[in-house]
Amino acid sequence: MQYRQVSVFAGKGTGADRFAETLYGIGIDAADLIYAVGDSEVKVFDTQGRLQQRWATEKPGYCVSISADRTVYVGEIGQVELFDAGGRRKTAWTDPERLGFVTSIGFFGDNVFIADAKDRCIRRYNKSGEWINNIGKDNRTKGFLIPNGYLDFAVDKEGVLHVANPAKHRIERYTMNDELLGYFGRFGTRQPEDFPGCCNPTNLTLTRQGDVVVTEKAAPRLKFYDRSGKFLTFVGPELFDPNCKNMDIAVDSQGRVYVLDTIRLNIHVFACEGGAD
Amino acid sequence: MNEEPTRRDVLGYGARGAGLLVLGSTAFYLTKKAHAKGVWVIDPAKCINIRLGTTGIDQFCDKCATTCVIPLSAVRAVNDFSKCGRCCICPAYFDVASDIGRDGLPVRKLCPRDAITREAIGDVDPDDPLNNFYEYTIDKTKCNGCGKCVMACKEPAGLGSIRLEIRYDLCTDCNRCAISTACPEDALARITRDLAPGGKAVESSH
Ligand code: SF4
Ligand code: SF4
Ligand code: SF4
Repeated sequence: MQYRQVSVFAGKGTGADRFAETLYGIGIDAADLIYAVGDSEVKVFDTQGRLQQRWATEKPGYCVSISADRTVYVGEIGQVELFDAGGRRKTAWTDPERLGFVTSIGFFGDNVFIADAKDRCIRRYNKSGEWINNIGKDNRTKGFLIPNGYLDFAVDKEGVLHVANPAKHRIERYTMNDELLGYFGRFGTRQPEDFPGCCNPTNLTLTRQGDVVVTEKAAPRLKFYDRSGKFLTFVGPELFDPNCKNMDIAVDSQGRVYVLDTIRLNIHVFACEGGAD
Repeated sequence: MNEEPTRRDVLGYGARGAGLLVLGSTAFYLTKKAHAKGVWVIDPAKCINIRLGTTGIDQFCDKCATTCVIPLSAVRAVNDFSKCGRCCICPAYFDVASDIGRDGLPVRKLCPRDAITREAIGDVDPDDPLNNFYEYTIDKTKCNGCGKCVMACKEPAGLGSIRLEIRYDLCTDCNRCAISTACPEDALARITRDLAPGGKAVESSH
């Protein structure tokens, strides 16, 4: 299996389809519209990188996810803002005790999972914004080990959460009731399947068939594993700015992988050689 | 928490003093022994071990350790605990390019002088030592400011919590500073008290 870069869009700049200062989060809806947050804005692109719409957020957004009913959830410091697909603000969930710094959001059925990087755990809410339970908090280190200050996860089709636990150099799997099901990954600098540095991988998503896609910092790489943790392939680091970190990832319905370069403020698009996954 | 909280007084230089004032984000620290006329400081925007953008342990510069006239040098590395990630595998402590032992940790340390200690914070999980935070402390009696750990801890590989400081209790202020002459990056700068706000240096206690 090989992935190759098929396009790059956005980038640093002052144009409407560019980001002036920051680019933190990316999400893709069921219609393959690409939502990116940075500069206290949501920008929506089509798969060709053409800007479709943009709107301001109340605070800088650090992650964005779109639910099946096309509500756009933007994670911020202290809150999650909810918009309809046209960018009209529906509401904001403010829960200062539990939503300190929101860096990832995922869905399963009526559940909304929100990563609070401040408290280093994942919160489980219902669609009405009522908190249900925490995931990854009740352990010896009182949360995931995230020296970079970002916590990222993805939810699979069975409702299992796959979480990047970077200082452990692992990807851990949890039930939504906070049971650790297992993990894979280990520290190492020589084999591409291992995770180097103090804390990798930093970001994570899943393909439709359940492969695990992660990014690493220093050096920036995009890596692919199957659901059992078997290493498949990687791309980078030469395509990204070497000082990139916390590079958010999303996958569209065709299996194309979208990766943020958080320094050059680019969105890189990769496709699997031989077609969709 | 900082390793040495009493030293955390930051010199907030204003726009005066031309190039010296474009000194990057890292703060400077003076001490009670700072000389009235001025002191030598390391410009974090210039020092190759500190400045962002240059990465790779093979690039580190040890001129601060090898050219200072003081035995063991007047330069030391300091770990700012308020920034440190307390990682299990700290690339400033371990030589991450070395072999991996049975415990899953690199077998060699990075510091050539074994000046960094690693201590688990709280209870160690006997079944999973990765399940812990670790504190990294630099022994000033051993460190010679070679800068290797500073380069390794730099963003994005680390969090940039380790920096190099000139210790003014050690520096004899020899006025021509041998390091400033040898520094390939012209990163040594002499600042005077006049540059400090209100003409007064902010002092802390080494
Ligand atoms: S690399 Fe720096 S920030 Fe990370 S654990 Fe080591 S000393 Fe701390
Ligand atoms: S500066 Fe050099 S001698 Fe000092 S702790 Fe770091 S690696 Fe060791
Ligand atoms: S000699 Fe200059 S570049 Fe080298 S470590 Fe010292 S200040 Fe940094």
